[in-house]
Amino acid sequence: MFILPLMAMLIGVEFILLFNRITTSYEDKLKSDYAILVISKKELSTPLLRSYSDRVDSVESMNREDIAKEVTAGIQDAGMVAFLKGLPYFYRVHLTEYISLEELKKVQSNLKKIKDVLTVEIFGENYHSKHTMFRLVKMILNIFIVMLFIVSIFLVIKQMEVWQLAHKNRMQIMEVFGAPIMLRSGILFKIAFIDAIIATILNIGIFIYLKVTWAKKSDIDFIKENQDLLINVSDYFILFFTAFVIVLVSVLFVAVKSSEVPEG
Amino acid sequence: MASVITANNLTIAYDKGKNIVIDSSTFSIEQGEFVFITGLSGSGKSTLLKSMYGQIKPQSGSLLVGGLDMKKIKKGQLLQLRRNIGIIFQDYKLINEWTVEKNVVLPLIITGYNLDVQRVQAEKLLSHVKLSDSANKYPLELSGGEQQRVGVARALSKNPFLILADEPTGNLDEFSSGVVWDLLENASGQLNATVIVVTHKIPTIFNLPYRHFIIENGGVHEVH
Ligand SMILES: Nc1ncnc2c1ncn2[C@@H]1O[C@H](COP(=O)(O)OP(=O)(O)OP(=O)(O)O)[C@@H](O)[C@H]1O
Ligand SMILES: [Mg+2]
Repeated sequence: MFILPLMAMLIGVEFILLFNRITTSYEDKLKSDYAILVISKKELSTPLLRSYSDRVDSVESMNREDIAKEVTAGIQDAGMVAFLKGLPYFYRVHLTEYISLEELKKVQSNLKKIKDVLTVEIFGENYHSKHTMFRLVKMILNIFIVMLFIVSIFLVIKQMEVWQLAHKNRMQIMEVFGAPIMLRSGILFKIAFIDAIIATILNIGIFIYLKVTWAKKSDIDFIKENQDLLINVSDYFILFFTAFVIVLVSVLFVAVKSSEVPEG
Repeated sequence: MASVITANNLTIAYDKGKNIVIDSSTFSIEQGEFVFITGLSGSGKSTLLKSMYGQIKPQSGSLLVGGLDMKKIKKGQLLQLRRNIGIIFQDYKLINEWTVEKNVVLPLIITGYNLDVQRVQAEKLLSHVKLSDSANKYPLELSGGEQQRVGVARALSKNPFLILADEPTGNLDEFSSGVVWDLLENASGQLNATVIVVTHKIPTIFNLPYRHFIIENGGVHEVH
């Protein structure tokens, strides 16, 4: 049975794909939720802000009347106009990437260089803790994947030893009578490919099951909202291709190891 | 007559040259000849046969099999050569998870003959080795003598130009031995195959002219 180690490997591969999607999606979310607050005496344009920092993605100007209304509730319209005149302009500046605090500070100091800009607020504390958390989660997931891979490689090697033992005799007899390597390992290929197909299907099944049951019922909003990340059609092909390559390499390895005459 | 085996100062050794088994021997064997090789246990009979099907490479000197230099032969060429050699082992070396019939036609499977050819040939050979009723059995369901007859049938199934047999009758009773010798005589006499047999005892009744080599102290000597 080559299915178990193959499945472990495929789960590892699917996790890599999944984590990549989740982290990118989470990063996107963090990025879009976050904005630098820029307060300026005069109106600012997006190109102007961009010319001071290439990290600037989009710029949202905050409605001054809304701000004024909140502050000046109950004041007459005439007073309002006067107030608006003195009120500075507020901008929410979104960034192109989810950058570290140091880089963020650089952006801050660049934007401060703009004439008329009064304040650039980066909400550093909050940002920093979220960003650190994000990096940490990403690192833990990567360690997990690496370990999963190491374990499954061991399983594959063990499996190959079992195969070696079970098929060596036949392969050596066939070699004595001149069978080329593909013919000698033909039966192994057949078993292994069937295993590869089964393992891929089971694996897809597990993730689809997770998607439609667990993710849908999850209490964690992020998981519920992003259940589509769990598995998608392009993964099917990647998984099958991976299984196929692992199987091919393993079988050839066993065949070459069983040979009594060196290749060449 | 074309030489099938040509050995020139042939030296064969194990353990990277430290353990010399065949020491600088020169001899040649022609197409269609029947050769017995005898010698004490451990003298190097099996080793010499192994060198003839490329399982061990000459240490020095030269060995040509069917015109191919066994020292320089590439793996692909060697496999090609082996498809035209029939090998018989003392311990049979049958594939236990295959039926008798499939074992017999292994050389045909390797060459890629179709199932019809395989079936016809298997039927013919199994009747020659008197095992027609056992076609669908598995090797482990047969006696030692029967297994060896399967081994002989397999070696003959593709009409090889060269047959190498290592103690083919070593464990067999008189009946099975008789069948094996008959088949080997026939392969040489009728089909003009070269047959080289390692044995500790040359059969008393043997109907063909033959040559006899003895391996002694690493030398391969012909007995006249
Ligand atoms: N694979 C091997 N590695 C190292 N030494 C070997 C190997 N095979 C055989 N030998 C040594 O080579 C010598 C010849 O062995 P070989 O098997 O050719 O003898 P033999 O004449 O066939 O003997 P027997 O009649 O008992 O079968 C022996 O001394 C043996 O120990
Ligand atoms: Mg021997």
